[in-house]
Amino acid sequence: MLKSNLDMGNEAYTERAVASASIAELNDVSKLFGTVQAVSDMNLRIAQGEFLSFLGPSGCGKTTALRMLAGFETPTTGKVLIDGRDVSTLEPYKRPVNMVFQSYALFPHLTVGRNIAYGLKQRRPKIDSKSIDDKVTHALETVRLSGFENRRIWEMSGGQQQRVALARAIVNEPKLLLLDEPLAALDRKLRKEMQIELQDLQRDLGITFVLVTHDQEEALSLSDRICVMRAGRIVQTGTPQDLYDQPNSRYVADFVGTSNFFDGLVNQINGSTGSISLRGGRIYKSHLSGAISVGNDACLSVRPEQIRLHLSGTPETLEGKVLNRIFLGEHTEYLISQESLGNITVLAPRQSDEGLSNLGTGDTVYMDWSADAALILPKD
Amino acid sequence: MRLYAFCVYVFLYTPIAIIALFSFSAGRSASQLEGFSVKWYGRAVNNPFVMDALGNSIFVAFVSATLASILGTLMAVGLQGIRGPVRAFFDALIYIAVMIPGIVIGIATLIALVTVFDVVNPWVASFWADAAAAPKLSMGMGSLIAAHTMFTLALVVIIVRARLSSLEAALSEASADLYATPFGTFRQITLPLIAPAILAGFLLSFTFSFDDFIIAFFVAGSETTLPIYIFSSIRRGITPEVNAIGTMVMVASLILLIIAQLILRGGAKPKR
Ligand SMILES: Nc1ncnc2c1ncn2[C@@H]1O[C@H](COP(=O)(O)OP(=O)(O)OP(=O)(O)O)[C@@H](O)[C@H]1O
Ligand SMILES: [Mg+2]
Repeated sequence: MLKSNLDMGNEAYTERAVASASIAELNDVSKLFGTVQAVSDMNLRIAQGEFLSFLGPSGCGKTTALRMLAGFETPTTGKVLIDGRDVSTLEPYKRPVNMVFQSYALFPHLTVGRNIAYGLKQRRPKIDSKSIDDKVTHALETVRLSGFENRRIWEMSGGQQQRVALARAIVNEPKLLLLDEPLAALDRKLRKEMQIELQDLQRDLGITFVLVTHDQEEALSLSDRICVMRAGRIVQTGTPQDLYDQPNSRYVADFVGTSNFFDGLVNQINGSTGSISLRGGRIYKSHLSGAISVGNDACLSVRPEQIRLHLSGTPETLEGKVLNRIFLGEHTEYLISQESLGNITVLAPRQSDEGLSNLGTGDTVYMDWSADAALILPKD
Repeated sequence: MRLYAFCVYVFLYTPIAIIALFSFSAGRSASQLEGFSVKWYGRAVNNPFVMDALGNSIFVAFVSATLASILGTLMAVGLQGIRGPVRAFFDALIYIAVMIPGIVIGIATLIALVTVFDVVNPWVASFWADAAAAPKLSMGMGSLIAAHTMFTLALVVIIVRARLSSLEAALSEASADLYATPFGTFRQITLPLIAPAILAGFLLSFTFSFDDFIIAFFVAGSETTLPIYIFSSIRRGITPEVNAIGTMVMVASLILLIIAQLILRGGAKPKR
């Protein structure tokens, strides 16, 4: 439902859908630790049932934002709403949200079953023990750990502990499930498996997930929407597709996927397109994204897979020398040095052309790209 | 270097070994071995004064260790949430309390209590019709328990706090996240996890109080604890009976200390 709306990428419609069914909101939220501004003027609406990720480098305030939703931190200014209610100063134990901790934080003196039952046992009025048992059994089934009730925590592997932590949270059917780098401690293979499980779980349960990660691949593959953060601020929020195709800054383009950036000066703007003159004198016409005006320093962003390689040049192509090539199966990655633009990364599909597929270190090659494939972005 | 260490150990433990050895002597002299027997142990156990003193010692040790464990744990938990200069101030006080020699504590407690009694007793008496029949505070079991509690409190705080700070903060947060009230978190998560440290603190406090002579000497008034009894009987001459009592006290203390150590070790070890 909502998900398909988001997929359509219809910005206006999506915004309205989010507004009508937002489960949580951050309104002008800032958080100061002494003099450290961990989060600044954050505004965000989290839609019912969506999978949202906070993505950003270490120390950009992702955890702090999540902890304000959980109630472990109180915003210095601004409001946190959950289900329409102002919970800015409400204690964590009174909030209808649950969190999966990076360290799992499983209770070492309780069995797996009693860890999972913990949240249910705190409820007042009391839930009868029969239905607690049923729910625990069901939660264990959901995370594929049936029969592990009586195990001790330290008898479980890292991946199993991860799933116990997940079960302990979802058994409470929270309005919002918060996950702080839940997969960071797992090895690569297990992480991939758990990512798929997380996604399935979120679809099946219909619970709103908010994930913190600094792994762009994880954010891109799991999320309905990603909120890219930098130094306590939201830089851009959008679907993975939006962020990849329409980054509003060099920072986002760099963080979501990889890209080549060529510095230059904006010399003309025409609606949503414009032109930029790069070092070396070339002028490229392209789409604009983000806040740009004529005369500004800006950069041209071209994704490695958008650059085409040729064996012979025309006046429009750029000449370069192959510095390095890495064979990746279906694709080959070239590092090409260009006299005025520096090093350029190119991801080329398997070539049918004999000459191109035999390109090696030191060979001369010519590059171009279609105007649609590049973006002029503010330089930040 | 090895030899040196060896000499130090010999020097430290020979007197203790000799006491233990001579307690099994069959003769009357405490410094001459005359055959092997456990008769002095029997004599000691059947001595009503010894048993009386032992009863007092156990009672004082148990009550003061219990009080110290409860108060010390509450203090450690309370200090947990405090940072900055206030915390540093309390930390300093606690370490100082442990480092001050027993004799200073003994004298200080004695003077403090006497001063308090001098103020309180006439005041209480003034409410009584017959001043002579008014209850009077004096040195005795109460003051002994109080003094021991004060001293061992610091031990408990240090031990429990070490355990508390090794607990992951995320555990309390997880508990709060799972709808437990602060008290619920304390009861269901914090307390079970620091229980080994509290128990170890209790045993150490018990041992300390049970073995203490110096503080007791000053504040026990007319009460006799086992160390005080041993001291006074030594003045009448050392007998193998004293050796036997000393050996028993030592073995009991050692056992408690070893148990405390094992509990602490087991509690600190991650169970994986
Ligand atoms: N309790 C605290 N006291 C003081 N400063 C803090 C506290 N928590 C976070 N900060 C600071 O706030 C900033 C944001 O921290 P936060 O933990 O939210 O970052 P993060 O994006 O989660 O980083 P990471 O990816 O490393 O977990 C950092 O500069 C951090 O040093
Ligand atoms: Mg973090």
